[in-house]
Amino acid sequence: MTDHDHERAIDLIARQGVEDVSTSDRSWLESHVALCPECAEYAEDFGRTGELLRSVAITASPALVMTTQARLRARALYLQEQRSRLVLIAISFCIGAMSSALSAWLWWRFGGWVAQHVGMPSAIVEPGILLFLLLPAIVIAGLLLAFPRPVFEGALLTGLAREREGEIR
Amino acid sequence: MIATAFSLLVPMETEEAQIARGLRRRDPDLLDALIEQYQHRLLRYLLHLTGNRAVAEDLFQETWLRVLEKGHLYDGRNRFVTWLMSIGHNVAIDHLRKRNLSSLDEMKDPEDGAPFEPPASGPSPFDLASAQQQQEKFHDALAQVAPIFREVLVLRFQEQMKLEEIAQLIRIPVSTVKTRIYRGVQALRPALKGGVQ
Repeated sequence: MTDHDHERAIDLIARQGVEDVSTSDRSWLESHVALCPECAEYAEDFGRTGELLRSVAITASPALVMTTQARLRARALYLQEQRSRLVLIAISFCIGAMSSALSAWLWWRFGGWVAQHVGMPSAIVEPGILLFLLLPAIVIAGLLLAFPRPVFEGALLTGLAREREGEIR
Repeated sequence: MIATAFSLLVPMETEEAQIARGLRRRDPDLLDALIEQYQHRLLRYLLHLTGNRAVAEDLFQETWLRVLEKGHLYDGRNRFVTWLMSIGHNVAIDHLRKRNLSSLDEMKDPEDGAPFEPPASGPSPFDLASAQQQQEKFHDALAQVAPIFREVLVLRFQEQMKLEEIAQLIRIPVSTVKTRIYRGVQALRPALKGGVQ
């Protein structure tokens, strides 16, 4: 009897009952167990362990199940709201981008019209009007780059912290 | 139950595929039904893994919340119960990490003297009292077995899982699963020898 035989026996014992074990493997195991007291003892202990483990009756209480179901429903609702909020943000962004592009084009045309009536070159007036419109955004972007930790960021964080504190309470 | 409800709508789909589809939609009715169906199995697994009822109940809820959030990752190719138990396993591991324990062996709550609760069913017949006492002895012995061995024993005997499924769930080789089962049974041998006749 080799180590390989014992290993095969241990493998077949572990698989029996749950997995399909061929008739030839089963008869081999039976003959091996009949000759090998060590494997026979393991097979017996294995069966006994299963028997005793299956006799353990652990049940979840109805309260636990109900609480879990309620928590899950609340969480599912929250996730659904979050998702629909994201969709709204995406739609708003698209509408905003489209209206920005449209208004830029209109201002550009307006610049051309002004240039024509004032008698100035449109190559200066058109970009000039656009630059004037974009100026506030450019200034704010420049300030944010110049001061990486601006005042309003601190205020924002404080507000968020307060909100969180309120949630905890 | 779930299969019956869904098979009327989509008769060609397997139960796993139906569950996967419902989880992607975060269908609350499906989740309710799944909790009902797998409540005892999941709690039993977590209780054996942690050895503490209160912790197991917390992890039970946490596992289902994770099922809700990660439901889209279930593809329906494997049994749902295997996927559910693997989520439970990961939740337990995360809990362990939060408590800064270095191994599964340290998971048992030191304050909890009796990790396994006796059967919740009604009073047992008088002639079974002796057998019950010996069963309790066995459960005490089981509580002393290292959680890594206890886990595979529970999955193999209570959940009737195949060795490959256990390996997939715990993410260890099949050979390691066999070794752990073998060692687990060996560790229980003294209790088994004094077991029920």
